[in-house]
Amino acid sequence: MKQFGKILKFELKYYLKNKVFVGVTVFLVLLIAGVMFFPKITESFKSDETTNSTETQPVMLVKSEMGEEIQQAFSVVFTDYEVKTTSEDLEKIKEQITSGEAECAFVITGNASYQYLVNNLSIYDVNTEIADSVLIDIYRMQAMMSSGMTSEQAGEIISFTVDSKVISLGKDQMQNYWYTYIMIFALYMVILLYGQMVATNVATEKSSRAMEVLITSAKPTAMMFGKVIASCLAGLTQLVAVFGSAILFYSLNKNYWGDNQIIASIFDMPVELLGYMLIFFVLGFFIYAFLYGAIGSTASKLEDINTSVMPITMLFIVGFLVVMFSFAAGSVDNTLMKVCSFVPFTSSMAMFTRIAMSTVPWYEIVISIVILIGSVLGIGVLSAKIYRVGVLLYGTTPKLSSIIKAIRKA
Amino acid sequence: MILELKNIEKAFGQKRVLSGVSFRAESGKAFGLLGRNGAGKTTSIRILMDVFPADSGEVLIDGKPIDYNKIQIGYLPEERGLYPKKLIIDQLVYFAELKGMSKREAVKSVDYWLQRLNMTEYRGKRLDTLSKGNQQKIQLITALAHNPDIIILDEPFSGLDPVNAMLLKDVVKEQIKKGKIVLFSSHQMNYIEEFCDSIAILNSGKTALSGDLHDIKRGYVRDRLAVRTECADKIKSDFKENCSTAENGELIIKLSSADNKRSVMKQLVENYDIDEVRVYEPSLNDIFVEYAGNEGVKENEAVR
Repeated sequence: MKQFGKILKFELKYYLKNKVFVGVTVFLVLLIAGVMFFPKITESFKSDETTNSTETQPVMLVKSEMGEEIQQAFSVVFTDYEVKTTSEDLEKIKEQITSGEAECAFVITGNASYQYLVNNLSIYDVNTEIADSVLIDIYRMQAMMSSGMTSEQAGEIISFTVDSKVISLGKDQMQNYWYTYIMIFALYMVILLYGQMVATNVATEKSSRAMEVLITSAKPTAMMFGKVIASCLAGLTQLVAVFGSAILFYSLNKNYWGDNQIIASIFDMPVELLGYMLIFFVLGFFIYAFLYGAIGSTASKLEDINTSVMPITMLFIVGFLVVMFSFAAGSVDNTLMKVCSFVPFTSSMAMFTRIAMSTVPWYEIVISIVILIGSVLGIGVLSAKIYRVGVLLYGTTPKLSSIIKAIRKA
Repeated sequence: MILELKNIEKAFGQKRVLSGVSFRAESGKAFGLLGRNGAGKTTSIRILMDVFPADSGEVLIDGKPIDYNKIQIGYLPEERGLYPKKLIIDQLVYFAELKGMSKREAVKSVDYWLQRLNMTEYRGKRLDTLSKGNQQKIQLITALAHNPDIIILDEPFSGLDPVNAMLLKDVVKEQIKKGKIVLFSSHQMNYIEEFCDSIAILNSGKTALSGDLHDIKRGYVRDRLAVRTECADKIKSDFKENCSTAENGELIIKLSSADNKRSVMKQLVENYDIDEVRVYEPSLNDIFVEYAGNEGVKENEAVR
């Protein structure tokens, strides 16, 4: 136990003093600060420009037989434009648009037809849809009025809306979507990143032959658990720094974000979900970090690491993809996901997603966590055994079968 | 304290690495573990250090199975290497702490050894900024700092300049005087001969020879004389086929029987201008070649 403590401290110091680790964390925090302060910053720029901003509105030309009426209707819906009527011919209008005098133009040729002219058509251009609905409304108004209704009666019919309210008794997938997405992604990134770091760390010790002294100084189990738990703590530190600063910066800028639904839903996540995130992060992390550590011990050169860890990485990515596809399709309770939420290699992501996005019976959660804990211990001890055998093997990377034989012997 | 390995056997898969290694080392004396590459020296050392267990056989301290919680072992591996990118003081203290020292003891001891080996100026430097010889001195500290009862030094002199080799010799002699068991493994026979009171020669995973070096040498039939003289030619012509010249220029005179060595010595001293005459004893080199050299030993690349 004493040895384990020393190893943990030494390894943790390695992460916390590592320039890359500190650099990446600071960068992420700054990035989040940038995003979170963005509305505030743009706001402060805007306030300087409000006085002259009206003059810079782009011009929209409207040519129509209907005249003033259509100009008024368009002015109401196209608030970003200065809507002007025109009686020029088509060629002249085109010229005005290409020269930049006007940005776009509607040439209305009849009750149900028009031409929309614009220089560069943006993929977000919805002007025609807005114009469609305005023209349809005008047509309906006219039709209703001509059949004897007053303009008030017609206006009431046109502006009729349905008031609805959705009450979700389980989870609201729309509401939970974004923070679940972010959490799964964080889980994925951290496990992959730190897993590789554990593997590299072990392989470095082996290739620098520091292992020769280490293996005779400390028990392999203490080495393995010390390394993995240290990297887990480092990963958690990074997560806490990133998420913590996000929450802090958000609360500082809450007013500026106003009614941004996505951001609000992210920071509205329930606390117990954070608890589940922590449990599944730690357990999932351990499973993969132990495997990565064991693999790292079998490679004799640092260059071999990338190929050696490939099977583990693939396993993890396949699990991630299954979860992501089910998640994106909104069917987090399909059979594959149910199976995955009990398989220790995927359950950290799968079960977490199900808890966040659907209603999972408590006993399923308990079973999944118990299986995970059991697997963590089993894989931990197994990987320490592989480590003990692996670190003393030099030369070609040994075959799986020969490692298993050696473990049985040891 | 007496360290004993008894009939150690070990196989890795199908490959038998050790098939009966036995030797005995005493505290206050240096012991030399010899053998060609792949003879099983490192495997024996690893079993002695409990890196992996033996298939059969025993490691005993004073006749009882070794208790690794009580007996501390210091090890300088043949494959040198520590953390290249870490500060020297940090890693030395870490290794001493792993061996059970408190942080304070570890710092104190490491500082003592840095000073003893004239390395104090490198205390706060990164290991990879040091020359190879100096890195080796740092590594030596990992073997000594925790004040071990048994010190295992694998090729300790390789890579050291004569001044550093002298320093290391002094340190080793100090440790022997303090009553430590010092176990050498080396191919440099002159060092073994200088330090070690007893040796074991391994050949193909077996102890081919072990015991007190002096006794081993005395065990050879003492029927040859080594003569250092200026008038070698004259002696040669007188002793004819019984006389040969050794590599170092000495004359070796083969006697018809070990019994008449005194009369021949007397005869030599009286009749010729003799600088030195003594009974010829085989060098460790000769003994090594005799016991370790004959069979081809295949090097085991996978597990050493």
